[in-house]
Amino acid sequence: MINITIDGIKLQAKQGETILQVARRNGIYIPTMCYLTKTNPIASCRICSVEVEGVEGFILSCQEKAVDGIVVHTNSPELFTHRQNIMKLYDVNHPLQCGICDKSGECELQNKTLEFKVSSQEFSAKEQKRNSKKWKILGYDPYLCILCERCVTVCNEIVGAKALYIKPNGYNSTIDNDMKKCIQCGECISVCPVGAMVSNEFKYKANAWENTKIPASCSHCSSGCFLYYDVRHKSINDPEKIITRVVNEHEFASLCGAGRFGFDFANKNATKNKDLLDKTITAFKKADTIKFSGIITNEEAFILQKLKEKFGYKLISYGNKEYQKFLEEFSINTGHKLYNGNLKNISQSDLVISIGTKLSTDNPMIRFHVNEALKRRGAKIINLHPIEDFALKEIISNSIRYEVGSEEGVLAILAKGLLEDKDIPNELKDYFDELDDGYICAETNVAEEEIDLILKASKTLEKKTLILGEDLYTHKRAKNIALLAGLIERYSDFNVVIIPPQTNSLGVSLICDLDFEEGDYTIGYNVKGDFTLSALGDGDLDMPALNQQEGTFVNIDKRVVPTNAAVAYGGYTLNDIANELGLKAEYTINYTKELPKSKGFKEIEFDDLPNYFDNAGNEHRGYLLENKSRRTKLRIPEELEEIESFDGIVVYRCEPVHQFNEFTALCKPIEEKQFLEGSLQFSVAAKIENESEVEIDLDGLKIKRKFRSDKNFKGTIGEISLFDSILHNNKLLSKYRYFRAKISSDGSMQ
Amino acid sequence: MKSLVYFSTWQREIIDNRNKPKEQWQNSSFYFPEQHRVSNDTKAFIGWDGVVLFKEDVDVVKLAMKYAAQYQIYSEACGRCAPGRWGGRILYDLLDKIARGEGELSDLEHLKEVGSTMQKTSKCEIGKTVPTPILDIMIYFEDVFLDLINNKKSSCEYHKNDISYIADITAPCTDMCPSHVDIPGYIEGVRDIKFIDSLKATKKSMPLAHVCGRVCPHPCEDACRRANLDEPISIMELKRIGADYESNHGLDFVYPTKKAEPIDKKVAIIGAGPAGLTGAYYLALEGVNCDVYDELPVIGGEVAVGVPQYRMPYEKYHKDIEAVKALGVNFILNTKVTADMIKQFENDYDAILIATGTRISKKIRAKNERMEINGYWPAIKFLDQINLNVKWGIGEAVDLSGKTVVCVGGGFTSMDVVRCAVRANAKKVILLYRRDEKTIINNTSYEEYHEAVEEGVEFKFYSAVEEIITDENDNLKKLKINKFELVPNPNGGRPSLNHIEGEDYFIECDYLIPAVSQDANMDFVPKEWNLSLTSWNTFKTFNNTYMTNRKGIFAAGDCEYGPMTIVNAVGQAKRAACVMLRYLKTGEASLSDEEILEDHLRKLGVYNKNEKITGWMPGMKRKISQKLDVNTRKHSQAEVNFGLTSEEAVNEAQRCMRCYYIAMVAVENKNKPLDGGKV
Repeated sequence: MINITIDGIKLQAKQGETILQVARRNGIYIPTMCYLTKTNPIASCRICSVEVEGVEGFILSCQEKAVDGIVVHTNSPELFTHRQNIMKLYDVNHPLQCGICDKSGECELQNKTLEFKVSSQEFSAKEQKRNSKKWKILGYDPYLCILCERCVTVCNEIVGAKALYIKPNGYNSTIDNDMKKCIQCGECISVCPVGAMVSNEFKYKANAWENTKIPASCSHCSSGCFLYYDVRHKSINDPEKIITRVVNEHEFASLCGAGRFGFDFANKNATKNKDLLDKTITAFKKADTIKFSGIITNEEAFILQKLKEKFGYKLISYGNKEYQKFLEEFSINTGHKLYNGNLKNISQSDLVISIGTKLSTDNPMIRFHVNEALKRRGAKIINLHPIEDFALKEIISNSIRYEVGSEEGVLAILAKGLLEDKDIPNELKDYFDELDDGYICAETNVAEEEIDLILKASKTLEKKTLILGEDLYTHKRAKNIALLAGLIERYSDFNVVIIPPQTNSLGVSLICDLDFEEGDYTIGYNVKGDFTLSALGDGDLDMPALNQQEGTFVNIDKRVVPTNAAVAYGGYTLNDIANELGLKAEYTINYTKELPKSKGFKEIEFDDLPNYFDNAGNEHRGYLLENKSRRTKLRIPEELEEIESFDGIVVYRCEPVHQFNEFTALCKPIEEKQFLEGSLQFSVAAKIENESEVEIDLDGLKIKRKFRSDKNFKGTIGEISLFDSILHNNKLLSKYRYFRAKISSDGSMQ
Repeated sequence: MKSLVYFSTWQREIIDNRNKPKEQWQNSSFYFPEQHRVSNDTKAFIGWDGVVLFKEDVDVVKLAMKYAAQYQIYSEACGRCAPGRWGGRILYDLLDKIARGEGELSDLEHLKEVGSTMQKTSKCEIGKTVPTPILDIMIYFEDVFLDLINNKKSSCEYHKNDISYIADITAPCTDMCPSHVDIPGYIEGVRDIKFIDSLKATKKSMPLAHVCGRVCPHPCEDACRRANLDEPISIMELKRIGADYESNHGLDFVYPTKKAEPIDKKVAIIGAGPAGLTGAYYLALEGVNCDVYDELPVIGGEVAVGVPQYRMPYEKYHKDIEAVKALGVNFILNTKVTADMIKQFENDYDAILIATGTRISKKIRAKNERMEINGYWPAIKFLDQINLNVKWGIGEAVDLSGKTVVCVGGGFTSMDVVRCAVRANAKKVILLYRRDEKTIINNTSYEEYHEAVEEGVEFKFYSAVEEIITDENDNLKKLKINKFELVPNPNGGRPSLNHIEGEDYFIECDYLIPAVSQDANMDFVPKEWNLSLTSWNTFKTFNNTYMTNRKGIFAAGDCEYGPMTIVNAVGQAKRAACVMLRYLKTGEASLSDEEILEDHLRKLGVYNKNEKITGWMPGMKRKISQKLDVNTRKHSQAEVNFGLTSEEAVNEAQRCMRCYYIAMVAVENKNKPLDGGKV
């Protein structure tokens, strides 16, 4: 520990901590303009300079580390003068039309101009001609830009897109965007201290002070990121609250474009109609099955589980059942109910290995954190997947392409290598000795040198994470894959993250006893059933969307995070139905404290769950599930099955980075067209032409798409996105993501 | 030699010879050339540490304004902090306003206020130092400013074009680097975690980033201002970060500029070592067709066959070489260029660059020293055989099991010899050096010496071979060694060696490897060309253009300078390539104004070891990279130095103070044109 004094207060600092970090952690204010807690210091504004006794000149507190014994002064008349001068310089030619600026009221330039008492402008510079830019949803006004470089920094260090860059030209410097690389995540908007970078959707919609912040959790994917829904009355005449935008705690946390711009999915016009409710109850009485998706809160899942216990419903949740099963088998060999890794582990790794996931799009926060590992620690990123992820070319160190269907072999050979020098039971040793490396390498098409490369990296590097993705859970040999993965977590020093495929897959897996087979009459909740409850507004009874209700999710970090209602909802909820059926709870969130403790949940009232970040950036959101140990006997994996060959036309189910399902498909700002995509080679094999309309048969489901070929695609596997109908065709979620598809061009069909 | 100046504030030494007859002018304590080119007088020099006027009639207001304008032009270094970006612009705008006769008294106050905030708070030295000479001028020539302001008149030169203002951006490290690499630029790339940008900055003047990020003796670090505060930045190791990022990620090659359109000119380059590769790289980037000839079977010259694998893995060097190849450079290997060939080249090519290095090991001048002795093994040949085998499997492996090896040397080559001998399993390895431990560390590096000692090399100091003793079959048996002592030189020079009588001793050994220095091979030079040579028997070139006395024949690298460092060869070849390009286009070998200024700055010296550093926390230790464990590396060719981790590298880069400086000269335009004119 290092002892330092700041403004007369004696404080302790950790090795490597900067002066600013120590000050912030202890609630001491040092002004900054460009600083962001979550990135390396940018050091462009110079306002955070302080004085250190015995050291001549000003010391940049954001970058300089605390040294034992130093005495720091954060303020002096001289510091004030120079900070004031810097603000005067920032204000040179900055337009004064704050009245029409979207940032007004929460503008850091406004705040600091007042703080440093700059009331008049005594010098100026000749103004330069600058052009405003519109990069799809991102708007950039160079006249307002103060070149703090925050946007450029997050685009590189957090997102990893490296789309934004400084066009250096001295006083005329501006920010530019390489749109080929931009993923429209809006991180740049969130960190802009002034009104230079704004969402074109939000522009001129509301003043900062009119918005009320509703702290919530993003409902689109399993990262369950923290966000605020900013709500405001619709207009002078209409007091109805609408979401004007989503913001986040940009100092400490990040958000992808789906979370930031995909907020307009509420089920707005629902009303209560007793007849409809009665019909619903009748349907429930008739039904033997309830089908639902992972787009659901823990409390709702808990209600369904209670209904199962009471009435014997079968609970069907495609994709989640497979995930639950995978986790179950995995935990046999780890001895713990949950996997041991999280997003933070990933970003702090020196080696990240991912298997069975489309790294660039499956889960945006996985992508961000993998990039952070590279940027902070120079981590080696090894991606094992049949398709080369060209969008992450600069981030992935080694791309190892295995044969479609050969995941079991890949896991086996990896487990064998990683556990070779570990203290493992003899029967396991025998199992691995039996494995025929040469045969597996030939079958999986993974070269022995590639495995050696992984093993070498794993021997020399310190912190390691293994990421497992959705391809594995629906694999024919998922059970054995899970057992092998469990061995890796147990006997190696890897942290393992098993990406939950949908928002609350993990919560559902823990709370519900899921079944495999549907019965005769099904109630669908946000999926198509014989009687459908839907928050998409297209069912037999309306339900609230996830921004219209209170509740919790379990996110990828195994954290129970609370979310809140931002938009009013006029219809019935699942809880209303349950009450009609004999359960008793005034509100859905009465169940929060009843979530099963045996699975690691805690008995905490919903209203007592925290949802914020502290000054030092620590996350205080809900609580972490307890990773309960379970007593199991080590299970030796089965002999490997012969690898099924996937010859012919193969199509992979994967979505664009900011699209997940029908809810995100509703959101205009992140609208995406759906395509079948593939390489030239693919188009030749499938006998289809670029830009032509084709029909794809995925295990009997026929889908029409335009085919798009791109030189970035390699190999013979096509990619198809299904987000606008995936919940409706949710059975696909329980199938292996690679389909032997039949493709016919539209012309030939006619 | 010191400069005689009219007025100067250089390094805070105030010389004011105004109103004095020239014979009474006070001398300065620095030297800056008073002529830019032979027929162009330098009127003034203005830079980071003050202003120097050589002539009485300098328009100081315009000089200040032009200097502020340079700050706007060298934008890649600035515009990246608030005080610099806006402050720099305001300095320029206000000075221009005064110079054109529209200034007001309050402008002077604002200039001082903005200048002071820039000096105190700017991110890099360029922002901190640009106001310095401007404020000097405002103080010492206040009357000139007041005259313009009060009488609303423009400065005397404002509307004229008699003076050329020539500027260059430099830094103490950049200036000291023979290759003038943009060191603060590539360190900033690491700091910003933009490793490709970092590599791009390096490649502007150094195509061999994988190499010079590993085996450079880093003279730059001796000129690092951070040393004035605590310890120099680990400059060399940071260069490797960008290069390794490129190769580890299998990215496309990074080039500093786009390859220019072909210009229909052909150049022959003799030698595919660092100098040859560098020349080819920059010429090919400019659209010149290059054929590179080498007698070795591999590309890379001494760095390939001289520097061992454990220090410079060939896979990494290969990346730098591939980047040259990818520009379309043609390599003709296994081809020793002869006098007849080079004469033919003169007809076939538009210019020739000789970059043949120095590949003949010098003798140690012992009695009975003969090449024929069994066991006498010149260092260059020894290293050739080891490296060709280790790196490419060419030729026979060297196995020294059970053998005692004595190497005579004291520089990098001898270190490579002894450490390779350890790896070839020698029983005993001895390095003989005439002087002491301190000098050998000075000649090489602390790390190199320390690692060799760790690996079990026995260093015998103050020792030299007097006689080589052989048996009847001319096999090496033993060496007679003289002991010396160092006698301090009363004049402060190098201590002299004094033979201590009666302390001679013998070493029994199997091999003697001389590694004292190397000579250049000149046997391919046509006698009738009468190329001028230096007293060291290297090629003599003229006026820093690297052209020999024969038109169109250039020479760079060790064959020009004598055995020196890789970075020296690269720097020379880079300059040679620039001059050759002008030669190809104009038929004249000339220097650009910036190159001349660069050379003049080198003479002045940019680094000031006595400068006091303010505004940075002292006591931040320099990062040291991890090394391969000694017991493993003794038996392995694996790279010894792991390099800095990304995290360490970023932290180390944050220690860099970005000491960019702008230097500018005002030169009389008497003899136009300045650009492309003969030196």
